[in-house]
Amino acid sequence: MPLLSEDDLTLREMDDEELARAWDLWFDLAQETNDADPPYTHGVLVLVKSPRRIE
Amino acid sequence: MVGNVYFELTEEFNAAGPTVLLASGQAVVYHRIAIMSKDGDWVVRETPDACRRVLEVLGCRGARYRPSAPLDVRWLAGGWSSHFEFFDERKRRIRCDFFSRPPRLPRAVIDGLFERGRGHPLAVVDVEPLILMKQTQRAKDYAVIGELSRLLPPERELALTTDPDRVLELAPRFGSAMDRPAVLAALAGERDPVVVALAREADRLQAEDRRRLRVYEDAAAEYLGRLRQDGLTEKPLAEAQERAVRLAESCLPRHPLPEDEADAAAQ
Repeated sequence: MPLLSEDDLTLREMDDEELARAWDLWFDLAQETNDADPPYTHGVLVLVKSPRRIE
Repeated sequence: MVGNVYFELTEEFNAAGPTVLLASGQAVVYHRIAIMSKDGDWVVRETPDACRRVLEVLGCRGARYRPSAPLDVRWLAGGWSSHFEFFDERKRRIRCDFFSRPPRLPRAVIDGLFERGRGHPLAVVDVEPLILMKQTQRAKDYAVIGELSRLLPPERELALTTDPDRVLELAPRFGSAMDRPAVLAALAGERDPVVVALAREADRLQAEDRRRLRVYEDAAAEYLGRLRQDGLTEKPLAEAQERAVRLAESCLPRHPLPEDEADAAAQ
């Protein structure tokens, strides 16, 4: 059973240009949640949730 | 301009020679599994030249340091990550993260990453090492691992997939020599024990990752506090780099994990 949605999996049918356009549109929309994003999503500091905690 | 800025940055970093490999969420986009990350994340070569090149490209884009270790081989070699941010011409936030020692990857695999990455038109981490990098504390990464595993030959898919149905399907043909608990359960023919074994495995991997990250979180506390007090994240990149290195020399341990633990984390 696929573990991701059909929206995700249709990426495989896209050529490079279509993928770039899909990502670009998604990235525009995703800017709306910037303020709510965690400070780190990669690397070794992802458990550092808030600057206050370490100041 | 329409395009993936992180793919474009990858090409720019590498324009003067192999410098970075695109990893994590954007590599998942590249492999056409899912659009799932707003940030770019790269394995950087552990050389002063590679660090210089990355800082040069980011400096031209007006990037600033985010609170993090300096992009310097002395800290990269200890597993630290360096984080930057800038806004593109459309005012979109671009976050760029770098490390040279991806967790859970043996040193020999890390050394070979750049060679394997050459098999793709864009310099990107190959599927199997990408799966090991995705064995994080985040639950959502395990669904992605299941889909990435489908891109592998069946024996390797069986060794790494998180999908119980694929384990049940592949185990009779390819699992006889494997000691993975989920595969052993599948060979016994019942589904529930496979599901339980996969859940336990993911839980163990998540716990191990959290434990490793706590070591870095604790080791970084004084440095990050002083870095913020210094206003370093507001400084132009060249000045911030110099200050970050000076500060790190005074209070950021280069190798927070004991050597044997670092090796174990890489296995």
